[in-house]
Amino acid sequence: MPVYIDISRCIGCRSCEVACQRVHGGSGHVNVHFVGDSASVPILCHHCEEASCTMACFSGALYKDGDKTVFDVEKCTGCGLCRLACPFGVVWTDKIAHKCDLCEGLAEVPTCVTTCPANALSTDFDLASRRARARAARVAAQGGRR
Amino acid sequence: MIKVDASLCLGCHSCSNVCPSQNIVRTETGVTRSIHWKRCKEECDLCVELCPAKALTLVPFDESVPEPEVCFYLVACKICGSRYATEPMLKRIESVIPANLQKDSEGLDWIRVCPVCRRTIEAERATRQMVLGRSRKSP
Repeated sequence: MPVYIDISRCIGCRSCEVACQRVHGGSGHVNVHFVGDSASVPILCHHCEEASCTMACFSGALYKDGDKTVFDVEKCTGCGLCRLACPFGVVWTDKIAHKCDLCEGLAEVPTCVTTCPANALSTDFDLASRRARARAARVAAQGGRR
Repeated sequence: MIKVDASLCLGCHSCSNVCPSQNIVRTETGVTRSIHWKRCKEECDLCVELCPAKALTLVPFDESVPEPEVCFYLVACKICGSRYATEPMLKRIESVIPANLQKDSEGLDWIRVCPVCRRTIEAERATRQMVLGRSRKSP
């Protein structure tokens, strides 16, 4: 259950970044990237099915728990291998590793999702795919955009 | 005190992070990372236990043995050129991740790209997809 991103809704306000930092004591796990003039994209953990960060972790601090990739701070030595093993660059190590924990134990719904004023983030896969389908249907109904 | 097998050491942050007496000193210059193990009399073997490469062993204190030190050149990112990791660490990542995951959908060897550039690439890719979706004509 990762956080799904609908970048066509993202307004680049960086509220998610700030919200994440606020609830995680200053070290956030969301990065909003700006791609030219065309888009802003929040980049955060995908909670990959085959998570390479968990494969690289030798101490068992990073592991898969169902569909989440979770982190046990007690076992982390801060070696930095997970940071290098993440294909998306969304695991950080400053002394110890930190990554998106979906605000487990901090909030019911990830704080970035509740904060986003543009509803670009959600944890609901059905909503994300419904919106994508609706958009495709709209384009088709208008005879496609030129 | 600690004996180091330099051929096994990855140059990671583990031992210097866990040492409770700060006897393991890590120095980074931007191009190199060196790790220096000071002579310690302690019985603790946290660094030995928590070394991912099992490169350390606890040996009896000996004044005549020089303090071990290893130095690594940091590898430059294929895209931006910033130095971000030691070669043995990247080799280790390449050995634990299945070969089919080591290239991304566009054939990029992402392990040799720094984490900052990996995020940028991901953002650019998502943007391309969105722009493509918006401009797609109906059949």
